[in-house]
Amino acid sequence: MSRKLFSLGFVIILIFSLSLTGCGSSKGNNNAGTNSEKPAANTNGDTAGNATTEPAVDESTAISGEITFLTNRTDMIGKEYDEYAKRFNEKYPNIKVEFEGSQTDYNQQAKVRMASGELPDVMFIPQIPNSDLPKYFASLDDLGLTDQVTFKDFKSQDGQLYGITTGNSTSGIVYNKKAFADAGITDIPKTWDEFLAACEKLKANGVIPLASNFKDKWPLNTWAFDTPRLIAGDPNYPNEKLNQDAPFTMDTGYGKAFGLLKELNQKGYLEKDINSTNWEQSKKDIASGKFAMYYLGNWVINQIIGAGTTSDNVGFFPLPYDNSGTVTATLSPDNFYAVAKDSKHIDAAKVFLKWMIEESGYEDFAGFISPLKGKESKLTQLKEFQATGVTLVEGTVDDPKVTEISNKAQLDLPAVVQEFVLAKDPQTVLDKWNKSWAKAKKDLGY
Amino acid sequence: MFESISYHKQKTIIIVSFLLIPMILLGLFTYYPAVKLIYYSFTNWDGYSPEKPWVGLSNYKEVFANSDIFKVFQHNFAYLVMGILQNIVAIYFAIILSSKLRGKNGFRIILFLPYIMNGVAVAFMFGFVFDTTNGSLNMLLNSIGLSSLGNTSWLGTEGLVNYSLASTGFWRFMGYNMVIYIASLQAIPRDIYEAAKIDGANAMQTLWRITLPNMKAVIQLNLFLTVTGALEVFDLPFVLTKGGPAGASQTYVMRVIESAFAYNNYGLASAMSIILLLFVVIVLLLQQFVLSRGGDK
Repeated sequence: MSRKLFSLGFVIILIFSLSLTGCGSSKGNNNAGTNSEKPAANTNGDTAGNATTEPAVDESTAISGEITFLTNRTDMIGKEYDEYAKRFNEKYPNIKVEFEGSQTDYNQQAKVRMASGELPDVMFIPQIPNSDLPKYFASLDDLGLTDQVTFKDFKSQDGQLYGITTGNSTSGIVYNKKAFADAGITDIPKTWDEFLAACEKLKANGVIPLASNFKDKWPLNTWAFDTPRLIAGDPNYPNEKLNQDAPFTMDTGYGKAFGLLKELNQKGYLEKDINSTNWEQSKKDIASGKFAMYYLGNWVINQIIGAGTTSDNVGFFPLPYDNSGTVTATLSPDNFYAVAKDSKHIDAAKVFLKWMIEESGYEDFAGFISPLKGKESKLTQLKEFQATGVTLVEGTVDDPKVTEISNKAQLDLPAVVQEFVLAKDPQTVLDKWNKSWAKAKKDLGY
Repeated sequence: MFESISYHKQKTIIIVSFLLIPMILLGLFTYYPAVKLIYYSFTNWDGYSPEKPWVGLSNYKEVFANSDIFKVFQHNFAYLVMGILQNIVAIYFAIILSSKLRGKNGFRIILFLPYIMNGVAVAFMFGFVFDTTNGSLNMLLNSIGLSSLGNTSWLGTEGLVNYSLASTGFWRFMGYNMVIYIASLQAIPRDIYEAAKIDGANAMQTLWRITLPNMKAVIQLNLFLTVTGALEVFDLPFVLTKGGPAGASQTYVMRVIESAFAYNNYGLASAMSIILLLFVVIVLLLQQFVLSRGGDK
């Protein structure tokens, strides 16, 4: 009897100790968030709001702490970022920077962490309305950059600056110079007809003129967002939709821009099967001259060079979307840096953000135009691009109402471009989306 | 101190304490999120803000008012067809690999291996297989002289794309079904076969009269898994085609995810998930009703 009792007691003790360790480990996780002495890499929204930050002192050694930067450039972790951290620590030895790579979808991941109140100290602003910015992010006006940065109105709310662009892009035709020369194209095309003629020459030479990467959808962003705005000649064109019940018509910006891509496809100037494209492979093919052109942002230039060609073989010119001979191109911001409001080391995070913008050289590495006004790009292709006499048009902030209607209508412009190009009768596609637009607009009462 | 507790009570204590942890885990990671999901489906939460405004049934009304949403179930039909085919082939292989065959364990492993592989990795792999210009499938077709087929756009042709994708699922899950069938075959008593042999039954009669009826419960289970799998398919089209060309391979779950994360409409997405859950329950009940008709249960 006593043996039986012993084993029973043993089993019960074992079980309770197991269940206790189960609780213990989960408690431990919570403690990591509430324990304010421990420099936690991730800040906990509930508790960190009460944490006091050290007063800012001018001496760079006075600012200390461990900060986390959530980035989408996983390719730079362990390489360029390590080098940035080293150079940054020469100036601010007491700040430890941790680079956290995002999983595939940065926007989605950031939102999940916003919901759970566990934002990294430095991050990019995900797609949220500007009115929500003060809830999550700290004002950046005390950095003294407010008057120097481009696109400062984009992520501002109530006169406060919450996000600074990591770099700016323009979009245009990125091309393989050798492929152009081999096909006998001596001058870069300045009108749409010249552009088509160039495509024809390339095609005759056995080169695929334009790599659309149609299947992946995001490479069509230029056709969906940039070209319509340029054709309409109105920087605020996307927001004009707010006053229209049928914004998508054949003879306005959207229809015309989508039509250009459709024309290229019908003439056989895109990939042989646009529904089976491969983005990574296309970079190599542009580098080797199997494909001749991309219509993408300037950020792609360095990636092509990285895929196996030299910088002097890659050229860049604005897309001549009509036959007028004068061309414009868009200037758009990339991701916006922001500092989490509840960061425990808010000063360290801000100092790091400022350093990234002013001294890291990230914009040259990534192939961006500098976020600071008047700073020259080191990239030869961008100089070349500007030498064509192109006018760069800055966009306007998205109207939150337009975003709201788009979300309600489940309107995804690049997907509309895909439908438009594949449709036998593109008018039906536009009609369908006009209908959804009008309905969503009416439902929301705008 | 335990002397005073009756044997019955001791048993209860043991059972409760053993079940406590799994039940807590189950509740925490399955039922709590499910209850939350139902709650969200009555709000128009945007997915991140602290406020979750209550909107009643309007999400459900919106789903049923938009018939477009249900049209995507047509795409799931291909997965259902392939799934049924998959079960037939799995039974076939299970029977063959249960008989006396040299190297049958090797074949079993080869057929089962695809199931172990990660779904996204499989999708990437088949991305290379199905590529129109550089893909291995078209290269194979060209090299054996079928050049008229060798230029097919497997993932770019409306009507074909879902079957291409579903065939990947076939390749991946057939082995899994097969293993379940093998297990059920081994559970059939050998003496029934012996008796049948003595009575002079041939192979076909044994299959129809003994093997299949004895596997009925397992076939039902596999069919249920196939049907729900076909309704909930998501990873393959998400990675391979992103729903393209022009939405021809979009599935219901992809629309749910888009609603939640691309269009910031968590409430609507939750409602869509609940509706899918109800669909699965209805399909399950229908299947039970049809398959157990005339049965002995």
